[in-house]
Amino acid sequence: MLNFHLVKSQIDTMLGERKHFVDEFGEKIKLAQSELHNKSQNWEELSQKIQQSKTSWLLAGISTSLNITSTLPERPINYTAISSDGSQIFPDRHEALPCYLINISSVVLNYGDNSSANLTSDPVLFYKDEDRFTFWDGKKVPANSNVISHKRTLMEFEKLLDLANENSDRENAISISDGTLILWSLEGTPSDFKKAILKPFLDIIKEFKNLRIPLIGYISYPSSTDVINTLRLGLCPEKVSYCNQCPYTELPELPCSPIEGLTDRNLFSTLLKQGEMSAVFRSSSKILESYGDHNIYFFYLNIGQEIARVEIPKWIAEDSEMLKLVHTLVYDQAKKGKGYPVAISESHEKAVVRGKDRNYFFDLIKDSMVKADFNVSISRKGVSKRVPGV
Amino acid sequence: MEHIGEVIESSTKGFIAQSPKVGESPSFGTFVKTDSTPVVYGLVYEIITESGEPGRKPTAYDMSIDELKREQPQIFELLKTEFHVLTIAYAQSKEIKFTLSPLPSPIHSFVYECTNKEKKELSQQDFFLRTIMSSSNISIDDLIISSLSNAGKIRKNDDEYIVRMGKSLSRYFKDDYERLSSILRRIL
Repeated sequence: MLNFHLVKSQIDTMLGERKHFVDEFGEKIKLAQSELHNKSQNWEELSQKIQQSKTSWLLAGISTSLNITSTLPERPINYTAISSDGSQIFPDRHEALPCYLINISSVVLNYGDNSSANLTSDPVLFYKDEDRFTFWDGKKVPANSNVISHKRTLMEFEKLLDLANENSDRENAISISDGTLILWSLEGTPSDFKKAILKPFLDIIKEFKNLRIPLIGYISYPSSTDVINTLRLGLCPEKVSYCNQCPYTELPELPCSPIEGLTDRNLFSTLLKQGEMSAVFRSSSKILESYGDHNIYFFYLNIGQEIARVEIPKWIAEDSEMLKLVHTLVYDQAKKGKGYPVAISESHEKAVVRGKDRNYFFDLIKDSMVKADFNVSISRKGVSKRVPGV
Repeated sequence: MEHIGEVIESSTKGFIAQSPKVGESPSFGTFVKTDSTPVVYGLVYEIITESGEPGRKPTAYDMSIDELKREQPQIFELLKTEFHVLTIAYAQSKEIKFTLSPLPSPIHSFVYECTNKEKKELSQQDFFLRTIMSSSNISIDDLIISSLSNAGKIRKNDDEYIVRMGKSLSRYFKDDYERLSSILRRIL
């Protein structure tokens, strides 16, 4: 049970400290805006500095002026939006049998002359040894929530590819995934596990390229700071910056600090008009070193209600016509969904497994076991959680 | 013949069926039947189109239906149309009995519109009017008007039939002339 009296006083303290940042916010934004314009004059120089420097933060790679904006291209009348999402019931050792479930949704929305909608979901029960255990640094270990979440992510992309193949004859198809295409959470995992997830994922990206259907990652209300970090690098007086050898640590404030705390969203909300997209930037996330020829790029898009981050594989970033198509279709999807792409929102609704579904799932297993004359036992902790006494 | 609904809730006094397509239900006052054994006959007395998922509520889009179909096709997959049916008779060995079925229709039975022959048979006597009148929580007067109009149409508005049913109504409403008059004026 949560004691809200004790929480409230901590909320007040948090807001008190936050107010200090809000007061400085206007100044920070002004400086970031002027830096964005200044550095756009000679962006090649900054681009070189990015490549040579070693910073403690992720930098947005640039290959154009930073402050360019693109107006919304006209939307093709007919198009197809594909999306998939997943949800899971993690294994619970206090329940009767060790198993877990992943529910993957499929959404295909056809717009225009032959409009239609197909919304389904497919649950898969995992109970075999090869599903319940995984190889982690050479050892066979039980699949935990981290492993299952990665497996689910991969299943979502596999489903997206299946749907893309089924709809490859449709004109102007786009495949939209909820969240990032940069699987940064694999950083720090053992190489065998990383490979087991990353290789099929990269094969999927490659297949999308062969199909010439854009695969994009959509991030609502992004908190990323890649472009701000690039501007911070621009503020650093060093010709080439090495954060671990910073000569300014004795100063009251580091030269790169004045715009610290801002997000790219804060900056681009002052630059982009509704429907406009930003320049395309290259992500420098460490995991992308394993992506080979499929580096991930991104841009920001003002969808009206907010600034969204749209991630794209390299082949789309290099194809201006495809980029225009992505720009207009992602905007249209967000507009249709009143601020959030309707295909993603429906795929979430189809995939979601709620708390009561989880309880029913485990009850169903127990009932089925009883009917099949199995001896059913669950832990006392499991019983206690279900029927708390007084 | 294509089915026009599938039973999703069933009781002795009636059932609720879901239309195969959103917005395509039989009209109010239609004579319908199930494909179950025994066959249950009834009258559509309520039609509801709403969100198919609890917790989700339709909102306005400011678009025509055609525009919505082109630009928001998913909403038609998320809505459902249900119609409620009042049981008026059932058939045992092809013989229609004007009383409640001994067993309600099983869930997932298909629902069909009655043939003209069945409609005639169901409305030949005034039993269906009596069933409507003794029901609660339905729009009794409107269902009488609508079902009688339907029964009249298949008889090509045969005056003798309408007069005969009107007489039955006058017996039922002998204590309420205003109500009888209102119903009769709306039928004719």
